[in-house]
Amino acid sequence: MKPSSRWTPYLFIAPALFFFAFAVLLPMVGTVFASFFQWDGFHEPIFVGFRNYGRALQDTIFLQSFWHVGIYVIATIFLEVAIGLILAGIVTSRKGFNSYRIALFIPVLLPTVVISVLWRFVFNADFGLIKGFLDAIGKPEWNHVWLGDKRFALLAICFVSGWIYAGFYLAIFYAGLQRVPKEITEAAAIDGAKSWKIFWKIKVPMIRRVWEVSLLICITGGIQGFDLFYIMTNGGPYYATEVPTTYMVRSVFRDGEVGFGSSLAVIVTSAVLIIGFVYSKVRAKSAEAVEY
Amino acid sequence: MKKFSWVFHLLLSIYSLFFAAPLIWMALSAFKGNDEIFDKPFSLPHSYNFKVFLDAWSVGGLSKYFINSALITGISALVVLLSASLAAFAFSRFDFKGSKQLLMLFMIGLLLPIQSYFISQNKLFEYLHLKDHKLSLVIPYVGLGIPLATWLFKAYLDSLPKELFEAARVDGGSDFAMYRYVAAPLLKPGIATVAVFTALGTWNEFLLAMIYIQNESYKTIPIGLLTFSSRYSTDYQLLFAALTVITIPMIIIYIAFNRQIVAGLTEGSLK
Repeated sequence: MKPSSRWTPYLFIAPALFFFAFAVLLPMVGTVFASFFQWDGFHEPIFVGFRNYGRALQDTIFLQSFWHVGIYVIATIFLEVAIGLILAGIVTSRKGFNSYRIALFIPVLLPTVVISVLWRFVFNADFGLIKGFLDAIGKPEWNHVWLGDKRFALLAICFVSGWIYAGFYLAIFYAGLQRVPKEITEAAAIDGAKSWKIFWKIKVPMIRRVWEVSLLICITGGIQGFDLFYIMTNGGPYYATEVPTTYMVRSVFRDGEVGFGSSLAVIVTSAVLIIGFVYSKVRAKSAEAVEY
Repeated sequence: MKKFSWVFHLLLSIYSLFFAAPLIWMALSAFKGNDEIFDKPFSLPHSYNFKVFLDAWSVGGLSKYFINSALITGISALVVLLSASLAAFAFSRFDFKGSKQLLMLFMIGLLLPIQSYFISQNKLFEYLHLKDHKLSLVIPYVGLGIPLATWLFKAYLDSLPKELFEAARVDGGSDFAMYRYVAAPLLKPGIATVAVFTALGTWNEFLLAMIYIQNESYKTIPIGLLTFSSRYSTDYQLLFAALTVITIPMIIIYIAFNRQIVAGLTEGSLK
């Protein structure tokens, strides 16, 4: 449709564009720019070309942080997406399970800070819920300083993440499964297919787009994960739970390395964008191949 | 057909127990003194004294954090709703030069992680003296919410029949009148969704709040709670009470509006 005057569309867009450009686009360009400088944030920046990137790629803590976030992503694909899918299968299999679906979503809306502080208590070796449980089943020797132990800290965070987000993926899969036409599953049931078979062989392939998006969210969201890591362990003990984002914040705000931190930001952002791009390419291809 | 019902019930019950245990433990511990928290983690508290919630709320300063969060959340959500719906209306309904490129710019924002810009944003806000004010967080939160809000609103508007707008045009409606009297009323379901994810995102946001707010009296709930937890680091009863006081009202609101809230938090990711 033609606007009544040439300028009105721009007037409509102006407020949104102002906030978005000022708060996001401009700083994003600034971050890329800053990544080519050695800068403590106060003195004159020194142009260093790609040296910050070279340093990042040789920084063992930074490289390890990608390893950690990789473990986290793989663990959460199982603890969040897979469990969410199984829960959705159970909840949609018969009537009367809706209250579970509604209840399991609760942690998704609570502040991560609240959840992190609560779970720090749950893992507490002196009075935590896990310690209480191990005492109750007569295995107090199994107790550990969970978040202070290199062997357990990262797994503990993955576990909490699963506790929060399984309900989120349950909600997403539930919405997807509701859209599978009843005729198809009923026809299969009449042909004598068992309900678990109908779920895995018919419903799950049909909601392919839903679990593809879920995997994408889980992977790209995982790479950006910060709050849980920062509050529960702040990267410790001995960098065992350091992820790219916590290391970035440490570099910029504790070590005052604005330039170096910016290069880390650019690397992490690129990783997220590349994964998103590859996903959209793969999806375009598969959409051509199978259209249900 | 339905003979395995009890297996599913059992599985779900076990999972729910594991799921609910920390939350129940939190609420019960708020009524227990430190010795009771240490010695009897599973028992019911021997008395229920609700005064501890009042202590957390007023003495601990939660009320202050709550007011700050409410103010920033309300303003941010309003600005996002207004500016994103205006922009979405223009993108959805008008032909104009550069509309594709401008839309692309917004869509980039859908993919950008906060890490891609917060370092320079911090420097920019420092330079412009925008940090550490009562409303400092509104600008970054609005910027954060706009891309998805614009995109969702545009999707809603795209699905409306164009005859609606053409009829209004024939009746002599101006561009703004069409937004005000045709588009805006039809956006209602979209408004609920966008309001929910903007408001919850703002209410819970942690990283930017931590960087931009140092002044105790401007802190929002997430960073306020962290301050609280280091200040009263050994008063576990008070800490459990604080967690409970923040959590319970959110759960009550969620139960009342669960359909809208689930939709608000999942719809954006499905599209």
